[in-house]
Amino acid sequence: MKKIISLILLIVLVAGMQTGCGSTPQPDASGPITITIWHDKEEAVVTVLQKYLDTLEPEIQVVLENKSNLTEALKMVGNNPSAAPDMYFFAHDKIGVYAEMGILAPITDLIPEEELSLYMENTIVAATYKETIYQLPIYYETLLFIYNRLYMSDEVVPKTTEELYAYMEEKTRGGHYGFVEQHSTPYYAAGWINGYGGSILDADGEPKLNSEETIEALTYHKKFVDLMPGETEYATVNTLFREGMAHSTIAGPWLIPTIRDAGIDVGVAAMPIIDDTELPISPYMGVQGIQVLKYAAENKTEAVKSVLTLFLQEEIQVELALASGCAPAKEACYELDSIMSDEVVMAMKETAEHAIPMPNVPELDVMWTVVGNLLTDINMRGEDVSESATKAQNEALQLIENMQ
Amino acid sequence: MKQQVSRLSKTKKNILFAYSWSLPSLLLISLIVIFPILYTGYISLTNMNIYHWTDYTVQGLENYKDALFVLDNGFLAALFMTIIWTVVNIVLQLVIAFILASLLNIKELKMRNLYKTLLIFPWAMPGYVSILLWKTGMFNSQFGLLNQWMVKAGFEPVKWLASDHMAFICCTVVNLWLALPFMITIIDGALQSVEKSYYESSVLEGATWVQRTRYITLPIIRPIIAPSVIITIFTTFKQFDVIYLLTQQVGSKSGANIHTILTYAYEKAFITNNYGYSSAISMIIFAILIGFSLIMNVKIREEGKAS
Repeated sequence: MKKIISLILLIVLVAGMQTGCGSTPQPDASGPITITIWHDKEEAVVTVLQKYLDTLEPEIQVVLENKSNLTEALKMVGNNPSAAPDMYFFAHDKIGVYAEMGILAPITDLIPEEELSLYMENTIVAATYKETIYQLPIYYETLLFIYNRLYMSDEVVPKTTEELYAYMEEKTRGGHYGFVEQHSTPYYAAGWINGYGGSILDADGEPKLNSEETIEALTYHKKFVDLMPGETEYATVNTLFREGMAHSTIAGPWLIPTIRDAGIDVGVAAMPIIDDTELPISPYMGVQGIQVLKYAAENKTEAVKSVLTLFLQEEIQVELALASGCAPAKEACYELDSIMSDEVVMAMKETAEHAIPMPNVPELDVMWTVVGNLLTDINMRGEDVSESATKAQNEALQLIENMQ
Repeated sequence: MKQQVSRLSKTKKNILFAYSWSLPSLLLISLIVIFPILYTGYISLTNMNIYHWTDYTVQGLENYKDALFVLDNGFLAALFMTIIWTVVNIVLQLVIAFILASLLNIKELKMRNLYKTLLIFPWAMPGYVSILLWKTGMFNSQFGLLNQWMVKAGFEPVKWLASDHMAFICCTVVNLWLALPFMITIIDGALQSVEKSYYESSVLEGATWVQRTRYITLPIIRPIIAPSVIITIFTTFKQFDVIYLLTQQVGSKSGANIHTILTYAYEKAFITNNYGYSSAISMIIFAILIGFSLIMNVKIREEGKAS
């Protein structure tokens, strides 16, 4: 008896090991076609997505799968049709990585290119890698200048960075801060660098950390950092604002529901203009949209086209943008009352005019760590700006070389 | 002669039988442990990266040549830091765990099980959660408990994780919090296996606590705790999460610049998406660990022979 049980267990084990090694699945022509979309979105967005995607049934059944580590998972299984999704809903900044891996299909193979002329120009720039458009933009996000009306009235909101600095000098005392931000986090510091005409990485994947403009920006930014708390992470900065200990901040739109729930009368304003350059702080812009995997584009073409056509509707774009607290990518949406009456969305539209789409080249992956170290060296360790920038530039070049 | 042949074939049959029973677990071990090592070794010989994701080719020892550039002064400093980190942590773990385990073995101690449960508690929590709780709940300069106490006591708030020395101490504290339950459990178990009559005789002979510990307890528990100590040395040596999450995490760097070989290799290789190159670095670190392991084994064997 024991031998039989052991034999059965052995067979089960060996069979189990074979799982996942199956052949490439072929779409079943007779039944409904299943389209799997990976995403990392919050419940409110998923509800809207599901509502619209359900209208494609019974011919097309769309399964939304939440992946917490979507980008890494996609790297692992992107070229394995039995494990990869058909599409994914994510920010544009990984497009270059997946395009180089050869797992993405150009979106213009599936929808008419003229449809994309109706989108805001910088969302299409964000979706384009090496002159090919790989993403159908849905909505975008930028950082916003947010303030607590209890301390900072609409009239005294700083219009320029020097006004902001004067406000910080006056109000930063006794555990209160005039202004806080994640000062040594690359995504946040990028706004100051871009506003100075500098850049972390250009569109060709070339680091620009020791350019004159970047060094000037980092030097100027440092004096603001000196009036901010030592910690740079999300939790500290946002808690200071939520607890009413910081008067203003630069943060993403995702912070606004939380601080409104905390009973703070929050105002949103345009980014202060940097006195030296007369350009506003110009943060990165992240465009969220749909990307299609090559296998699905080739083997489930009609179903994929139907899903994409659905996302072209302004109605779904508006609903998704409002559910996520972001701004829709299609120009026409800004003529609708529901969008025009939303203070946050309109502020984001204004900021987006100067915002820079996050580079979508693969080289960006190494830049987050290098720039994080550079900012830490300057802002938290007090090291020389030029020397640190040169060291970081060399390190970035070395890492980029190592990518090949 | 015939009898001998039949005994030999019976032995062969037994061996074959034993192996066939072990086959499922051997297959599983091969799949989980051996295969990833071999596969990493294979990938380290290729140019697999995002530009050659499916069309990668074997290019010999190119990646190892490149990887040796990573083993620069920074790597040597990280290796030195890793050794200091391992020695400090292991010594503190052994001393503290021995003291606590000894206290738990005091005959008159009441509510022993309650203390044991409390001491094991940090082990039950996921490491990631514990580390971030320490970071935000204890060390945060704005809201952390330590600074709340400092301010109440009339001192200035301290940036606990901002300087290298202070960050090293804080990382050690968190690592001890995470690792002590295991060591206490092992030493506690070992202490219980010591024959009580040895102590009774030594007390009659007038031995002090220090003498009893030195001449009875330590020699007896040493072979029992040795495998666990070796495991802990390796876990501490290849520590990544405590130091990375407390001081290096992208988006919440603390200002300290302390690196173990793994956090260093992560910043220099793993973020490049070059899997061939990263695998070569992994294999080099693997070789260093295997080297240490062999030295330790030889040393233990020599000590065993000597005793």
